Amino acid sequence: MNSILQRYSGSNAGGLSKSTIDEDNDFSDAMWGSEAGFGTLAKGVPGFVVPSVPDPAAFLRLHTDDHADPSCRIKIQHGTTTLAFRFQGGVIVAVDSRATAGSYVASGTVKKVIEINPYLLGTMAGGAADCQYWETYLGMHCRLHELRNRERISVSAASKYLSNLVYSYKGMGLSMGTMICGWDKTGPAVFYVDSDGTRLKGDLFSVGSGSTFAYGVLDQGYRWDLTDEEAQELGRRSIYAAGHRDAFSGNTCNLYHVKEDGWKFIGNYDITKLHYEGPGDVAGSPGHGYGYDMRVEGRSSANPPEAPAQA
Amino acid sequence: MIMPDMDSLAHPQERRFNPYTENGGTILAIAGADFSVIAGDTRQSEGYSIQTRYAPKVFRLTDRAVLAVNGFAADGNMFVKKVKQRLEWYHHAHAKDMPLRAIARLIQTMLYARRFFPYYVYNILGGIEEDGTGAVYSFDPVGSYEREACRAAGAAQSLVQPFLDNQIYFKNQEAAQGTSHPSHLPLETVLSIVIDSFTSATERHIEVGDGLEIFIALSKGRTLQGMESIRGLQELTVTEDGERLFVMRRDLKKD
Amino acid sequence: MDHFPTNWGRPRNDAFDAYATYPIHQRPYNGPKDTFADGVQRTQQPIVTGTSVLAIKYKDGVMMAADNLASYGSLARFKDVQRLHQVGNYTVIGAGGDMSDFQYIQYILEELSIDEISAQDGHELGPIEIHEYMSQLMYARRSKMNPLWNSLLIGGFKDGKRFLSYVDLLGTTYSASTLATGYGAFIAQPLLRKAVEGREDVITEEEARKILEDSMRVLFYRDARSMNKFQIATISSAGVSISDSMQLETAWSFAENIRGYGAQTQ
Repeated sequence: MNSILQRYSGSNAGGLSKSTIDEDNDFSDAMWGSEAGFGTLAKGVPGFVVPSVPDPAAFLRLHTDDHADPSCRIKIQHGTTTLAFRFQGGVIVAVDSRATAGSYVASGTVKKVIEINPYLLGTMAGGAADCQYWETYLGMHCRLHELRNRERISVSAASKYLSNLVYSYKGMGLSMGTMICGWDKTGPAVFYVDSDGTRLKGDLFSVGSGSTFAYGVLDQGYRWDLTDEEAQELGRRSIYAAGHRDAFSGNTCNLYHVKEDGWKFIGNYDITKLHYEGPGDVAGSPGHGYGYDMRVEGRSSANPPEAPAQA
Repeated sequence: MIMPDMDSLAHPQERRFNPYTENGGTILAIAGADFSVIAGDTRQSEGYSIQTRYAPKVFRLTDRAVLAVNGFAADGNMFVKKVKQRLEWYHHAHAKDMPLRAIARLIQTMLYARRFFPYYVYNILGGIEEDGTGAVYSFDPVGSYEREACRAAGAAQSLVQPFLDNQIYFKNQEAAQGTSHPSHLPLETVLSIVIDSFTSATERHIEVGDGLEIFIALSKGRTLQGMESIRGLQELTVTEDGERLFVMRRDLKKD
Repeated sequence: MDHFPTNWGRPRNDAFDAYATYPIHQRPYNGPKDTFADGVQRTQQPIVTGTSVLAIKYKDGVMMAADNLASYGSLARFKDVQRLHQVGNYTVIGAGGDMSDFQYIQYILEELSIDEISAQDGHELGPIEIHEYMSQLMYARRSKMNPLWNSLLIGGFKDGKRFLSYVDLLGTTYSASTLATGYGAFIAQPLLRKAVEGREDVITEEEARKILEDSMRVLFYRDARSMNKFQIATISSAGVSISDSMQLETAWSFAENIRGYGAQTQ
């Protein structure tokens, strides 16, 4: 752990030799300009402040985000159900929009699909800041790749860049479970990358606490030769299922479709509305609510059939 | 006998010192079509002690950007100081103020630079966007952010935000037959919602009270409509383009 | 990837529960109830300590009081310690908490003053500058996880303006017309506020002295780490003056009526 500390804390780690007041006096020239705020990255690796304690990871564990312990006050926002799958017509990416901090619903309007560039999407599960920051950073490097190589980066390379990056921070407390989705020379592609350093190529993934519910719907409806409409409906229906059954997921569903000419935002759907009314007048809509109320109309104990007239 | 390693001898440092505390208070911001309102109470407390009845939590960054900070006061003040420094440098380099959405991104990267030793600060940035619309950006302590129409943070967040959801987003409200909910509220309505939010939070939360500071950022060309009846309104700045920034102060209960 | 949101955003503790097998709201609990409170204690704790410092604004400036005791745990170890310290010509700094850290602060401020004097640039450090310096120093040290374990009050009078502000080991700062550190924040602060708030421009030096003496007496009655020997500093347009140590008249007859602590039989 000490080696990690020294690597990321630069010259500041535990040095008693510095003058009495110095927070961080190694400013890069880039900080004077804009550099999209990423001025600190000019040296190649972002500089992070690490607490000068023997075990910085333990420090972070003590102070951040123990949902079970209300006295841990630094709550970090979390994303929760995300899915992406590859099929004949491209890639479908669907996510919910709830962010929780403890049991509090911190936001119901989170954008969990991060638009890395017109051909690449990343999803957000785990720490919201970790995903936002590193996928933005990935976007910068994808652009640099384009400039250097005169062609777009492949989804495989982009996801590998991200996984190598987060792997170098392993054990420090990053938490992200993301799918890097896009279309490159090889066609539609989905890669799962998480903060443990795992990187998996695959056809179908779901990440987050609601993933089990999403998988349930996804697995029974998934085929390679889904039409675009069927695929979009499957994505919507899966996120609805997670929003309905998982307390950490809900609010709305954001749906994206990646095709050869880049991604397209399909729509935002209120999950409560999906339950009662369905997605409305869109391609693939069943024309009624996803909830089973209507399917048991007159046939359940909550809504019993009319008793036959007494003789 | 266990020999301490040389490293720990060279730097005899503390293991269990707690570098954080919580200083109470609440902040709130609401964006309108061509204005933005950013407010915060002025009480600073620790535990059950009121440290002071006037410690500002809302700060002017530029003529069209205002930042509210809440959480650990020392971190908050230091963070505001550093943001202001970066904005000043930007001004020297580019001879103009940093646009609001760029400030939002700057705040993200500055917060994230402390991912492993976070600022215990909840930030809400409000102001006028380059296209003249009112905007609110809210952040978590390590920098995830989102543009929203309204946001409350701090001690009374869980009291105020549901009220805002109902009054600003018209959540769980059905519009009357043949009408629809407005997408943006007029300034007058927003101001009374802000003041009501704080008077109510003061009643029900012990860490909220003493004073209320409300910053109002107006888009260029916008008249003072809706502000005629405000007493004690103080104009802070007006830009060459005509964006204007005001502050108003109100007393809150001190018990 | 751990799919439980309750475990997200925190470093994994590989020593146990690597697979997050716990139900979501039952995480292993080790340690006292409040993790934050837990951090405020022990390991680096202050050793030789001073207790409360009180200060108020009054008509002509600022007045500050602190007793002369430096405790070693519950032992009244040093009984002639001066906890009010003059810095420059306009400022007094009063300290509670660790006395060795306070002596270091005095040393730092002395160095600073010498630098300022030798610059001979026509500028002098006033209370505002010294408070800013101290708040940066205290915050920088807390950020290095190596705090100066003090609560400081900084009072002064310069250019016709009085100044009174607080800074502590976390870098927390605030100002008000009455301030008190340590036990004083609980016992004396309400008394000071009642006597001073809204009357800052009316209270005379004699009145101010009486307000502080009355508060110091109450503190002496109830704060077991206090002593009936203290000093008062006044900072006004006339400059800084720190009094000699003084004692207060106390009366303990009320103790007769206290029930619940001793060996009384009803």
